[in-house]
Amino acid sequence: MYILAIDSATPVAGLALLNDQKVIREEFINFKKTHSETLMPGVDRVLHDCEMKAADLDAIAVTVGPGSFTGLRIGLATAKGLSMACGKPLLGISTLDVLAHNIVFSNNLVCPLLDARKQEVYTAFFAAEGDVPKRLTQDMACSPQDMAERAKDLASATGKSHITLLGDGFYPYEEYFREYFKEDLLVAPAPLMLPRAAALGSLAWHRAKNNDFDDTFSLRPVYVRLSEAEYKLGKGAL
Amino acid sequence: MKDTLILGIESSCDETAAAIVKNGQEVLSSMINSQISIHQQFGGVVPEVASRKHIENIALVVETAFREAGLQYNDIDAVAVTNRPGLIGALLVGLSFAKAFAYGIGKPLIAVDHLQGHIWANFLEHREINFPAICLVVSGGHTNLLLMEGTDKSRLLGETRDDAAGEAFDKVARFLGLGYPGGPAIQKAAQQGTAGIYSLPRVFLDRDDYEFSFSGLKTAAMNLWIKQSRRGEARAEDMAAEFQAALVEVLVEKTIRAAKNYQARTILMAGGVAANQLLRQLMTIRAQQEGLQLFYPSLNLCTDNAAMIAGKAYSDYIRGDFSPLNINAQPGLNSL
Ligand SMILES: [Zn+2]
Repeated sequence: MYILAIDSATPVAGLALLNDQKVIREEFINFKKTHSETLMPGVDRVLHDCEMKAADLDAIAVTVGPGSFTGLRIGLATAKGLSMACGKPLLGISTLDVLAHNIVFSNNLVCPLLDARKQEVYTAFFAAEGDVPKRLTQDMACSPQDMAERAKDLASATGKSHITLLGDGFYPYEEYFREYFKEDLLVAPAPLMLPRAAALGSLAWHRAKNNDFDDTFSLRPVYVRLSEAEYKLGKGAL
Repeated sequence: MKDTLILGIESSCDETAAAIVKNGQEVLSSMINSQISIHQQFGGVVPEVASRKHIENIALVVETAFREAGLQYNDIDAVAVTNRPGLIGALLVGLSFAKAFAYGIGKPLIAVDHLQGHIWANFLEHREINFPAICLVVSGGHTNLLLMEGTDKSRLLGETRDDAAGEAFDKVARFLGLGYPGGPAIQKAAQQGTAGIYSLPRVFLDRDDYEFSFSGLKTAAMNLWIKQSRRGEARAEDMAAEFQAALVEVLVEKTIRAAKNYQARTILMAGGVAANQLLRQLMTIRAQQEGLQLFYPSLNLCTDNAAMIAGKAYSDYIRGDFSPLNINAQPGLNSL
């Protein structure tokens, strides 16, 4: 089963082509945020290099959030367009699950962090004993302090000795996290620090083999936050 | 010659739209998912909210356009999409979808200027348009006077220095408590009022150029309203009528003047404000007096739609003027 994985949820733009659990081609760029210019030429390059056409794909995977609102929509609009045009199913995967998938066979509490601006991070907590992450909490947007306290509580409640942090939400608060967690902190190494489209494709395959697809028409981004205007209006999601 | 079928996609502001147009003229389907009721509670278009609705609706709107036209994806020859000008986040949804969809079905992509789309709405309905023509494009984002030498050849004569006509309608309507969107709200109130009871300036009408300014008119209306309210004798209907009259008179007279100066025998109107009844009536009267032919689109083609985008793209398709996959959205004006 050929899966094309598309990720533009964060400043990273990632593309990967997988055949079941074999990664055939992967692109990763963490340079300029010009996803709308680079994403489709990248899709064309990946398929062309592998002597494939869009119609040869079996499914399209995309990170649905949390992340940059505009980035999420560029990725999802691209994935929807391909899915519809080729009549191939769509799989939307959480950006936090994708990040957590960078850490496996570990007995730590895994806490992927995305920079949510406004002195907050998007996060969720995972266990990673096996080869795929096991989600322990829902997505949340919270202050790094709040996140750190919750992580410490959950780690002690679940018997984890260490806390693994990764994702671009780590960098702005690095000093604070190092001070707070001290020797309990493990930081992912550079190649595992940011979302990888290959990890997205891998998680998508686990769902695809069970025919657990999303609906191309109704799939929406997971923003976690309301828009500013909705927030001011004091209303729920529209 | 074989027919050319083009899918158009439009998401530059608060309408998610898709349409299929044959040979740049025959509208086979035109779907519009309007967000007006959603933005009404905010008193205007909220860009982030608009973008969120676009991504939820885009695939179904496109699918419905195919179903209404009774066509398969493969039947179309190209995918046209608005990539400028507009709200950047909103444009990016339509553009990203269009790129991927065009690539997926193996057909060329054509990026279209929203304003040229508005102008093309005239060519969807009228076959007998002669050139040169003067075209007045008036909407929530634009107030432009163009000299057109062909369906695809235009030169900007003048534009607004500040607020667009539709923007001024929105702001004054909100100020008078008449609601959103402002154009229809002012028009409705004005029907119950009388122009001339209050006196507002015809800004720039005395100038010998094709520039417009509506910010001063808006401020004058607001100041006069505050003054009258203090005296306890303000009537919103009369203010709406005078404001509409002042704005429309400048639009009409400058357009007529441009037609005379450039020896154009034809006048075109385009954009959401071209749906305004007073503008249509006054322009019709003045055009008749001057012996000019006047064309404007029917109401549903004045406001944002995708048929005008698919129509405009036909001229690009014939020239083989396709867009690369790395084309970006542009929020500002650049081509006209
Ligand atoms: Zn428009």
